[in-house]
Amino acid sequence: MGISRDVYRSFESVVGTENISDDPAILRSYMYQPFGSKKGVWADISPAAVLMPASTEEVVTIARICNRHHIVFKAMSTGWGIHNLPGVEGAVSLDLRRMDRILEIDEKNMFAVVEPYVICAQLQVEAMRKGLNCHIIGAGSNTSVLASATSVAGYGPDGLSMGYSGRNLLGVEWVLPTGEVVKLGSLSTGSGWFCGDGPGPSLRGIMRGWEGAWGGLGVFTKCAVKLFPWNGPTELEMKTTPPNYVLKEPIKYYKASFFNFPTLENLAEAARKLGEAEIGYFISRLSPAFIGLQMAAGADYVNIWNTGMLQDMSKYAFLFVIFAGTEGEFEYLQKVLAAIIEETGGQASPISDTQEMQELTATAVIKVDAVLRSSFRPTGGFNTSFGAMDTMDLALNQIRAGTELKNKYIRKGVIMDDGGDNSATIVLDQGHLAYTEMLVMYDHHDDESAEGAFQYIAEANQACLDRKLGSPIFQVSQVGKGKHGVFGPASFNYDKWLCKIKSAFDPNNTADPTAYSSPEE
Amino acid sequence: MLLDLKDYMSDMKGCARCSLCKWPPLAQIKSWRFSNTCPSITRYNFHAYSGGGRLALGLALAEGKLEDISDELLNIVYHCTACGACDSSCKYNSELEVLWPIYSTRAHLISMGYFLPEHSMILDSLRKEDNTLMKPKADRGKWADGLEVKDLSRGEHAGVVYHAGCQYCYDPELSITARETVTLLQKAGVDVGIRGSQESCCGGMAFQLGFQGEFIKFAESNIDDWHAAGVSTVVTSCACCFGIMKSVYPLLGKEMKFEVLHITQYLDKLIKEGKIRLNREIPSRVTYHDPCNLGRKSEIYIPWKGTEKKVLGQFILREPEKVIHRGWNGVYEPPRDIIKSIPGIKLVEMERIKEYSWCCGAGAGVKQCFDDFALWTASERIAEAKSVGAEAIVTACPWCERNFKDAIATSGDAMPVYDVVELVKQSM
Repeated sequence: MGISRDVYRSFESVVGTENISDDPAILRSYMYQPFGSKKGVWADISPAAVLMPASTEEVVTIARICNRHHIVFKAMSTGWGIHNLPGVEGAVSLDLRRMDRILEIDEKNMFAVVEPYVICAQLQVEAMRKGLNCHIIGAGSNTSVLASATSVAGYGPDGLSMGYSGRNLLGVEWVLPTGEVVKLGSLSTGSGWFCGDGPGPSLRGIMRGWEGAWGGLGVFTKCAVKLFPWNGPTELEMKTTPPNYVLKEPIKYYKASFFNFPTLENLAEAARKLGEAEIGYFISRLSPAFIGLQMAAGADYVNIWNTGMLQDMSKYAFLFVIFAGTEGEFEYLQKVLAAIIEETGGQASPISDTQEMQELTATAVIKVDAVLRSSFRPTGGFNTSFGAMDTMDLALNQIRAGTELKNKYIRKGVIMDDGGDNSATIVLDQGHLAYTEMLVMYDHHDDESAEGAFQYIAEANQACLDRKLGSPIFQVSQVGKGKHGVFGPASFNYDKWLCKIKSAFDPNNTADPTAYSSPEE
Repeated sequence: MLLDLKDYMSDMKGCARCSLCKWPPLAQIKSWRFSNTCPSITRYNFHAYSGGGRLALGLALAEGKLEDISDELLNIVYHCTACGACDSSCKYNSELEVLWPIYSTRAHLISMGYFLPEHSMILDSLRKEDNTLMKPKADRGKWADGLEVKDLSRGEHAGVVYHAGCQYCYDPELSITARETVTLLQKAGVDVGIRGSQESCCGGMAFQLGFQGEFIKFAESNIDDWHAAGVSTVVTSCACCFGIMKSVYPLLGKEMKFEVLHITQYLDKLIKEGKIRLNREIPSRVTYHDPCNLGRKSEIYIPWKGTEKKVLGQFILREPEKVIHRGWNGVYEPPRDIIKSIPGIKLVEMERIKEYSWCCGAGAGVKQCFDDFALWTASERIAEAKSVGAEAIVTACPWCERNFKDAIATSGDAMPVYDVVELVKQSM
């Protein structure tokens, strides 16, 4: 379903001829979205047109035109995943690729102001030049800084020391679905970007809540995010050691260690204590399959897996990184780490202290540049399950539930045998929060496999309700319209509040409600 | 057929849509300003103009999901220098082919009868005049007028044939480099000859535009001619010729009883053997631009033909194992070693180099068909060169050199652009 020529021309007058298209080839390329598609790579619904605004003013005008003509719009930044596309016919996509500037890095107050298309890798290199660093989400540094801060989840393993995207959010410039511009926090009083709350009641909960509105509440055109101290060199030089880019020089006072534990409970206890001690830069509980796929591909991986070595070595293991500012601090961190590992029955992997280990992990830890290897690469299709961020105990329960459910589908042969427990568990804010995703890999072009994967996900979602494991990340957005209603009653009827928020902020339902909520009826 | 979309179905279906094709490998990003890798998506912005977008369109074509072939589709397909940067970036994390499906999409469209009018002119020129520049074949050897050099097309014999390539043959400003190259080789005692007016296009542009029949004709003819001349080595100064001879010619299944070398490899060897001595100081701070076809695209391409089987439930295992072309084995050090061996020269590297080098903008017919895009792409590279304080850009391909010179002239700038050979000559 297209839009009328008159409306098209109105949009065109805003963004210019070069930056709007409803050509079938352009639209088809946007429909390619394997992540979240039930099967294959194509979305069922095409945008009616794609617009590429370059400024807040252009976004405002587009929103107003949409309201005037009852056209739904949906914005995307880097556009990874089907949730970036409109879920209704006749809607327009706003590709924010042209809004790609780092507007400011405030070294003294340790924050950066970015537009939607700035990716973590870009911000990180610019921040490092000033002795600062930024949080990078687990999906990788190819993702938008702003999107995860304002609109979607935002967790990553450096969150142990650098929080998560939603928490790191400061001032925000927000174009409401109606076209009105709202400035959040200190920005609203002309006091700059340094604070995301007040004066008076904060709007952050409404704007983002736990995991964001997934584009269902308008367009975030600028935001400020916290930056963190970086004690390393201002530029990280790489050398090529196939198949990896590894650091040319080791970073001073930086050490990655890989620890194994006899039980999951021991691992959790260690993570808790390490959090309390506040000594870590990065922690990630990585499954044997995830680790193996980082190191090898194809037959090499299969051969390693079939030896059982990976499973034996890393059944309950995490990667822990310390990163100090001085030699004295480095010694202290190492001593505390060793004591906690001993107390909790952990053992350093034999490769833990080797140069290879330090080299192989440093880029993946600091730059989060190789996630694809352990997600989409082995089977093509990839999805995730669980993911409510809560306590370490809840994370353990999510792992247990997910493993049990996944094993059922592994036995059927419809998803990849990754040992069942392919959970990526991280601890945020020095142990105050924990987060687990249970990854699932499948062949999205194989009917039986795709169906099996989604049956697993449906069962995992149901387990979240039945076993009180929290609302699952991504599933709320992927399962679409009305699904908040499934999880809402188990979570203080939050779905009703989303409807109220949507009604108040988007009376015409102009911002695509599919991954968020429709207004109150 | 060398180019068949069907051969790349699993690659086109396997893209994760992660956008890694839009940036250099993430670990190699050094600044916001120079953090793009694909000229096409950087200039035109719609996702379709990226490596991933082109895979999507290739798949849509193969699956019959694009009913009409629009002008915009042709724009997308051909506003791409086929530089292969998307391919290298993608393969840092995956084993997907990106560049060859791009070539194959072009071949597919051609098989349906779709290509640009400008391409017809290039093709006509190839068919009638054996070059891509719409110049008379009879003039092809004029660059060597007055040179005392063996002409192998007239029955003379030499161990090495110097293949000048279309651009050096017909661009009067650049052909001096070809002359200097021959002189240099002769002074170093190399038994070198040329093929004069009988030299033909390497076929590289035809291949990159998707005209695979034409490519095969030129490639086979060149191989036959060099065999007939009895040469043991083919040396070229053109990175585009080198790249295609090195990476694609071997796929034709014809025996190649000669070695293919780029002039930088040959000169580097001669310098290291002491047969060329560089004595004269050239006090200058220069940067080196890696031509795509000398770098990441010169790896010998081994297409994967095999079966995919499922193990560990749904793990897709390719049998036989696929050879991954990450662009890491291109010709990167010889030109740098030559530059560094010149007294007085300080080589400074740009941010995007080697397998993640930014393209000059001239490749795959873009210079002839969309000069504005070619010049814009070059201007980005020139800005990068300036950002590291370079006083001059050195490269090793006449297409890069031509495009940089044009972009600099268009902008009213004065930054010198040199071929490596020019510097060697000046330093002797």
